[in-house]
Amino acid sequence: MNKSKLDVDIYHAYGDLVVHDGIQFIVKENEFLCVCGPSGCGKTTLLDILSGLLKPTGGSVLLDGESVDPKKHSISFVFQEPSTLPWLTVWENIATGLKIKKVPRNEIRKKVDEVIRIVGLGGFENFYPHQISGGMKQRVSIARAFATDADLILMDEPFVSLDQPTRERMQQEVLDIWKNLRRTIVFVTHNLEEAVFLGDRVITLSQKPTKIKADLKIDLPRPRDPLSPAFTEIRAQCFSFLHH
Amino acid sequence: MKSISTKIVSADIKAVALSVLSLIAFLGFWQITAYYVASPFFPSVGAVFKAFKNLIMNGDTQGISLATHSWASLYRVLLGFNLGVLLGVPIGLLMGLNKQIYNSTRSVVEPFRFIPPIAWIPLAIIFFAGDTRFAFLIFLGAFFPVYTSTLVGVQRVEPLHKKVVAVYGASKFYTLMHVVIPTVLPDILGGMRVAMGAAWLTIVAAELAGGTNEGLGRMMLNYAELLKIPEIIVGMIVIGAIGFVINELLLMVERYLFKWRWQVTL
Repeated sequence: MNKSKLDVDIYHAYGDLVVHDGIQFIVKENEFLCVCGPSGCGKTTLLDILSGLLKPTGGSVLLDGESVDPKKHSISFVFQEPSTLPWLTVWENIATGLKIKKVPRNEIRKKVDEVIRIVGLGGFENFYPHQISGGMKQRVSIARAFATDADLILMDEPFVSLDQPTRERMQQEVLDIWKNLRRTIVFVTHNLEEAVFLGDRVITLSQKPTKIKADLKIDLPRPRDPLSPAFTEIRAQCFSFLHH
Repeated sequence: MKSISTKIVSADIKAVALSVLSLIAFLGFWQITAYYVASPFFPSVGAVFKAFKNLIMNGDTQGISLATHSWASLYRVLLGFNLGVLLGVPIGLLMGLNKQIYNSTRSVVEPFRFIPPIAWIPLAIIFFAGDTRFAFLIFLGAFFPVYTSTLVGVQRVEPLHKKVVAVYGASKFYTLMHVVIPTVLPDILGGMRVAMGAAWLTIVAAELAGGTNEGLGRMMLNYAELLKIPEIIVGMIVIGAIGFVINELLLMVERYLFKWRWQVTL
């Protein structure tokens, strides 16, 4: 758990508009990092840069000591909007990443079946996305992300469009899957409670030009109770960093 | 689940029954009108049916059967139509994916869209003979609907869907085959149905221009010169019927391919 997995040191600007004014952090292997910041602080842009899809204006993103590259590394991305491909069944959607990575057929079958069981989509393998609910679609996207042996899983406010009970259930599920399959996760959210509930560590960001305001280790044992005094205290601490 | 599918099937049967009913009503209306008009220029259903039977059994004035005429026209339509699809889809994809090629060639390509295939007949008569001439004219009618709908369909590709596969390091070819084509396919099929309609419009006009003894258009013109209206109407009905059957076949292909859009959820 102490090996450094992701090493970020970037500066990013669109013309004169400085988005990230020097963002520096390290994520350890199998760590669950939450990045929390106000809307418009460039959270999605940060994930695009971490995934290697967007080149930062300056600096570097190193994954296992190498400059990040979607073709070389195995990266998964769970998007904010439903991102299932409508012409593929649930099963085929989950297999997408494995197929692109040219994993052998029988291994794809094994992995997809396993992850379907873990996320509780059994029985829905042959359904098309338009036949299932929004929460299930997001579960398909999460399953797709965990199906590959991802070096890094990026999650961009994946639960923001879900109702509160579904959201709480999905947060717990992601933690369970993560405990089962152990991956390095960077989870972006604007919701402090979500960040403190999920993360081993929480980074809070400022408004643009965005800097890191605080980098806090969350030492609470899981499962965490959002109503416990310790939780509330850490949450308040993060809150003060986010707003001052 | 079972009751849902039964419901769908019974809805289908109802739709077919209603179609048959309106067909019978149409024929009845025709027959009654013919009875009251009572003119050789308004043939009855029976007269047209007799001409139909005669054209099948004995052929036309030159002994060419209705099947031969129909097949000649259908063959030309399919030849030109396939050529139109074979070129329309890749060119539409290329133009849609590469705005620069599209923008720099549109002043050349787009005006062609507005020249109806019929306006090409004089040139086609000079440059081509036989089935090639007809295939060329039908190609012109079929190409643009397919090309245009492909071009428009490419704009519908969701950037998010491209991102989904890009994150896994998908190649451009993978993205084309697994994201772009599935998105555009419904538009292509729709364009093909429009193209099939355009192809039939063109074939009759092209055959009327001559250069052939076979073909439904030619057959109709022969009978026009003899003032034999039932045979002309037989030609019209056969054109309509073949077009209808092909359209239904394409619709079936669509429903099969696009289960992800068509399937009814209850």
